[in-house]
Order: sequence, then C-alpha cells, then structure tokens
Amino acid sequence: MTDKLVDDDAPSDSSLLVIIVDTNPNQRYITEDPKVLTGCLDAVIAFANSHLMQKSRNLLAVIGCHFHKSEYLYPSPGKPLDVRQIDGQYELFTLVEKTIKMRLVNLIKSQPQEEKPGESLLAGALAMALCFIARMRREATPGLRMSSRILIVTGSADTAAQYINYMNVFFTAQKQQVLIDVCSLDKHLSLLQQGCDITGGLYLKVPSLEGLLQYLLWVFLPEASERKELVLPGRGRVDYRAACFCHRELLTIGYVCSVCLSVFCKFSPICTTCHTVFKIGGPLPIKPKKKKMKV
Amino acid sequence: MVNVMKGVLVECDPAMKQFLLHLDETLALGRKFILQDLDETHLFISSDIVETLQARVDDLMDQLSIPVHDKGL
Amino acid sequence: MSESSKSKSSLNLNPSPTLQCKNLHEYLKSRTPQFLETLYNYPTICLAVYRELPELARHFVIRLLFVEQPVPQAVVASWVSQTHAKEQSKACEALSELSVWQEAPIPGGLPGWMLAQSFKKNLKVALLGGGRPWSMSSSLEPDGKARDIAFLDAYALERWECVLHYMVGSAQTEGISADAVRILLHAGLMTRDAEDGSAVITKAGFQFLLLSTAKQVWLFLQHYLHTAEKRSLSAAECLAFLYQLSFSTLGKDYSTEGMSNNMLVFLQHLREFGLVYQRKRKAGRFYPTRLALNITCVGEGSAGPLLSSGQARGHLVLETNYRVYAYTQSSLQVALLGLFTDLLYRFPNLVVGVLTRESVRQALRGGITADQIIHYLEQHSHPQMLKSESGGIRATSVLPPTVVDQIRLWEAERNRFTYTEGVVYNQFLSQADFTALRDYARAAGVLTWQSERTRTALVTRAGHDDVKRFWKRYNKT
Repeated sequence: MTDKLVDDDAPSDSSLLVIIVDTNPNQRYITEDPKVLTGCLDAVIAFANSHLMQKSRNLLAVIGCHFHKSEYLYPSPGKPLDVRQIDGQYELFTLVEKTIKMRLVNLIKSQPQEEKPGESLLAGALAMALCFIARMRREATPGLRMSSRILIVTGSADTAAQYINYMNVFFTAQKQQVLIDVCSLDKHLSLLQQGCDITGGLYLKVPSLEGLLQYLLWVFLPEASERKELVLPGRGRVDYRAACFCHRELLTIGYVCSVCLSVFCKFSPICTTCHTVFKIGGPLPIKPKKKKMKV
Repeated sequence: MVNVMKGVLVECDPAMKQFLLHLDETLALGRKFILQDLDETHLFISSDIVETLQARVDDLMDQLSIPVHDKGL
Repeated sequence: MSESSKSKSSLNLNPSPTLQCKNLHEYLKSRTPQFLETLYNYPTICLAVYRELPELARHFVIRLLFVEQPVPQAVVASWVSQTHAKEQSKACEALSELSVWQEAPIPGGLPGWMLAQSFKKNLKVALLGGGRPWSMSSSLEPDGKARDIAFLDAYALERWECVLHYMVGSAQTEGISADAVRILLHAGLMTRDAEDGSAVITKAGFQFLLLSTAKQVWLFLQHYLHTAEKRSLSAAECLAFLYQLSFSTLGKDYSTEGMSNNMLVFLQHLREFGLVYQRKRKAGRFYPTRLALNITCVGEGSAGPLLSSGQARGHLVLETNYRVYAYTQSSLQVALLGLFTDLLYRFPNLVVGVLTRESVRQALRGGITADQIIHYLEQHSHPQMLKSESGGIRATSVLPPTVVDQIRLWEAERNRFTYTEGVVYNQFLSQADFTALRDYARAAGVLTWQSERTRTALVTRAGHDDVKRFWKRYNKT
C-alpha cells in the first residue's frame, strides 16, 4: 500500500494549544494541601508535552494566571533557556518543563505580600491567550492550516465579577473560531461552562484530583477535528443566566437597557453603561416596561 | 468442449472500441489482434500487441486535438 | 456485467513506471518484528513512530500508556463513536502492523490489547524523562564561532542542490562523493551509461527531482539505509541517530563525544548531504540543519516549502492562461520546469513558460504523472499565490482549477483503456456448466467479466490455475 511519489497527503495541519493554569493561592485545593499544586502542575506539563508529541508542528503556550497578574510561563519571552538533556526525555519537553517551573516560581515570588489574595484574573488571561493565537496565526506560513484552542485549568470558585469581560472574550473566541475548554478542579463553574458552550469546547469538572493527567489526556487531548470520532462527555445542561452590571449577581429576571442591552437587577433612570435617560411616567411606582425574561 | 484463451481484457468507451475494431479490420497494426468482442465496452485482445496499440492511440489523440494556445505575445 | 473494478489493481499493464516512496510507517512495516523490537529500544524511534500513527491510534496509545494490564478489545472499540468504525479498524490495524501493541488474553477469556513493553517504556521515557540521555547531548563549551540559522539553511540548501545538480548533470560535478553516487545508482535514480560508464539520470530520477525536498531526503536516506548494512553500519543504529537528529533544535550545537566509530562515519555522510554542519571533521561538535529536522514531517503533508529561508521560498506563479512565471536563477529549477513546460523567455531572474498539451504529454510519456506535476507546481508556489487565497480556509489547491483540471484531462486522455490480463472461458456446453464455473470464480474473487448470454467468463491470470483445477474436478463428477 505504498503511496505514489506525490505529496498527496491531507493539507498540512498544526494545532495550537494555549493552557491557562490558575495558580491563585486561595483556591481551596491549595489551601487545604499546598503540595497538591505540584502534582497538578506536573499533570499539566505532561499533558502539554503530550500535545506537542502529537504532531511535530503543534504549538504550545502556557499562561499562569495569578490574582495580581497573568504571565506567559511558556514560551518565555526573549531567548529560550539553554537546555541539555539530562535523561532520555525529548529535549523540547525538558525545555517546556524547566521553563514553566522556573517562570512559575518567579510569578509566585512577584506576588504582593501584604495584599490578601483576590480573585484570579481568568478573563485577562483568556484575552492574552487570544492575542497569542492571533499573533501565531499572523506569523504562520501562508497556506498552513492551524486549529487553535484554549484550555483553562482552574480550582477557583465561580464569581460573576468579571462577567462582562468573560462575555467579551467568549464571543471574540467564537468569532475567531477558537475553542475554549474548561477543566474545573473544584466547583462547578457555570460562567465558564457558558464559554465552552458558546465556542464549542468541552467542559469537565474532575471528580478527583488523583488522576488529573488521565482526565486531561482522555478528554482534552483530541483536537476539534478528532473529537467527533471519539466518545467524549456530552454538553449537559448549560446555565445561561446573565449577571447584572450593577452588582454582578446572576439573574433570571432583570431590567435591560433598550439601547445598549446592559442588564440590571434594579431599575435605574439612567443607564450606567451608555447614559441613556429613561423617562419615568408619573410617580415612582416603577413601570417594568423594559422587563425581559432571561433564560 | 470449453475453450480457453489467454490475453488481455481492454475496457474503454464505445467510441474507442470502434476505433480498435477499425484497426483490427484494416490490419493497421500488421495483423488481427482482437481475440473476442465481448460487449459495448469490453474487448479481449492478444497481449503482445498492447504496447504498439498504446502508441497508436497516442498518435490518434494527437491528430484529434487542435492546439489552443498560441505561444505568441 | 463488468466486475473489473474489483481486480483492477491486481495487474498493472499500463506502462508508466512510477517511483515508489514509502513513508516511515511503510518502511517499518516491511521490516521484521525483530528489527522493530530493536528499534523500540530507542525513545526517539518510539516518538517518531508515534507521530506517524493515524490520529485515532495515537489516542489509543496515549490512553493505554499508563495502563499496566491488558485492556479488553471491546473497551477499546467503545472509545470510538459508532459512525467511525472504519477509522477505528484502520487504527487498530496500524498498531498491530507495527507491533506497537499485541493481543493479550484477559482473565475470563476476553481478547485484549496490550502495548509492547519496550515501546511503552521508551515512549514514556521520551515524554516524561528517565533513562539515559541520547548519545549526542554531552555538554559543550559555548562555540566561539556559533552559526546562526540563516547560515545553516544556506549551507543545507547548497549541499543538497549539489546532489541534485549532479543528477541532472549540470556543471557542478565536484563535491559529491563516490558513496553518494553509489546510492543514486542503487536507488535507480541514475544509471551507468552503456557506452562510457558515466552516470546518467533515469526516468525515476526525474520524478525524484519533482518531489519536495523533505521527501527527496527521506527517499535518499532510505536507500542509504539499504546500502548501510553492506558497509557494516547497523540500520537500526543509523535510523535511531537520524531520528535523534530530527528531534534536535535548529541552530544549536551538539557534541560528537561518546559516539561510536560507525556513527562518526555516518555523521560524515550526513555532513556531505547537508543534513548536519561541521566546521572541521574533528570539530567535536555539529549543527543539525533543517534538512535533518524535516525528516519527521514527511508523513504530515507539507503546505508551503519547508526551507523557509530566503532563496528557498517558492518561486512559481501559475496563471489561468497556462503561463508559468518562475522567479529563479537556478539552472536546476529551470531544467525541472522545462520538463513539462514550453519555455518562452529567459531573463536574469525570471523564466516564463507555458503549459501546453504537447509539453505536458511529453512529460507524461516520460513517466511523470499529472499528480507529480501539479504537486510540483503547488510545492513551489510563490508566496503571493499562497496569500491570494481567502484567509484561514484552504481551498483544495492554490493553483487555478482550470489548469489543474486540464493537466489531469491530458493525462486521462492517454489512459482511455484499462488493461487487465486474463483468460477467457467460452463455448460452454450448457448453462449449468457456465454458471458453476462463473460462481466458483466469483467466490474466489478472480472473475473479471462475464456474460450469461454468450456464456463467456473472464478470469484473472493469477486465478487461472485454480479455476482450471476446479473445472477438471467438476467435469469428473
């Protein structure tokens, strides 16, 4: 079954994966036992290397997401580390592992000591990932077909504080045809699940941290085109509640500005987003004429 | 009794088959070469003629086509 | 009616000898299991083999990588959705062919799969670490005269073109060793001229020239490995080293320390072909070039030229009016273009040609296929042509479809006949006799054509003996 001497293989395909690792120290699994983070990180690195192992043209980026900033863990900006093999591991994989570990230490050291850890800046990290993807697409050789996706590995709880940023990022990703996968280590994350659903990615809450690598390899390693061939966890029900722009709370029923579609939990005569003034007819009993159902 | 013949099966469109029959009848290749006329699109011919035949068909195609491209300016 | 489609592949009388290029998978498949077993002791080979596997097979391997006992075959089958059963069986077949996994019974009698021990162990080493470092990674003092990537690209290109130039007999004949010539002769890409014994290019050689550089290198090395054993080099060792090179980093230097004598010889050969750069024979360090790195990319299809440095970019612009503009100064490229175009003008840096029926047919007569021409044009398309396509979504080809279709039509018009060697049975005495013979031949899969009305059946030559025996038996009863 030798092929003829022509290059009639499928069009060249490379796959770009950006992994966002939540390293915020206030995640519950870390506060309970800080050592678990090392295990999780090892799993993520092994997973990243498995991705690079799939095809020689596959690309990888890892972004560390902290509460004060997000930073590239791999590739490191500037000159790459000079790595020589220490054991039988493929040189590139050693480089990935070393770079990630070194840069993560730097990231954690740089965190402000006096501040209490706040929320992880996941939306910001996602935006960084999209920028990275856009750049790689621009730089790719013309004619090369590249599929891109983002994987978020996080143990943070669900908050609606970054709701608007999240939505902006999700719809940008959808437009750019970038898949967003989410691997939740702790709680159910309804907002990020929405993102998966919008962009066509997969959402998985791992039942236990023990076999994290296996979960990652089974569910998230196949790229978009391969996923339809494999049996993978389904979408499930997605909670599509929106968060109000005033108090960042998830609502089922609220007020929507007719001009800019901002969502509010209470009626206000001036829209805080676009400053449209709503006329109030008569005394104050609020006429909920802008009332809308959000499903 | 059953008859057994060795040769080559040729599959082609009906027009080409007619051309082969013509070659055969006019002894254009020096001799008869069709062993059996099977159907519209199949012929059974002797195997040593294949190469000559191929060259002949090439010639025919050359005569049939008219150059479309002028190499000029 | 006709059943020729079934057995068309059985015999190829159509006289176009096409050069065969096996990819790694096929190369390995043709080796013995013992040889594979030796190979799987090298993590590099495991990595390379892994990348050559079909998509699904890769996921099977990764899912089984950390499992120590056999996994039921039914479980493996359940990983794939029902609609893709075909891909699944293909993946399983590939894994078995390359002895990546073996059948292993599970307590309870179910058949199971288990990864080959050495493959599993060494793939894990490559992925996660452990084991011994590869041979060329001893630490080195920083090189005082380090070479940058642009230099290496230029060097590799120059060396490789030297080989190609030699093949077409262009002016440059120095700088190619007797070994290289021997390989070209062995591969059938060149042949000794009957009169003066000088090497001349063969039809296969021309087809070779039309390939992408990566494929050329790989094909060339395959023949090198074939001849390697004669020179007391171990093919397994060479192959492992080759893949080691292909997994190295461009622009980095590696040490020759600790390499066996055989491998040092091999390295010198690679140096000659431009796969590695060495300043001096005894420099103690070498730089792999892009040619060596690209070995792994052969199977993955290659859009765009692999040598992405300046002069190696594509240079062809093909227009819908069949005109070809080639921005090149290389006489080799011009000669190649001349194989299937009528050249019209020649300027210092530009050659203009036109694809005509005549020029293409000439190439076809020389054994070059339409696909090879099209792929050559595609391979060397000017970046401007690649850019003109709509962003992101790749059309099937960057070339004008009219031209591509026409080239294929020109090929098709030469192949208006399909020839199948065979044996005719006719003049049966009864319908029952005929039916018996026909049904037997059909069941054996050797029936090419039959007609009930004329009681005629056509059997492939390979099946003739068998059918004859059947007929004798049948007549006796």
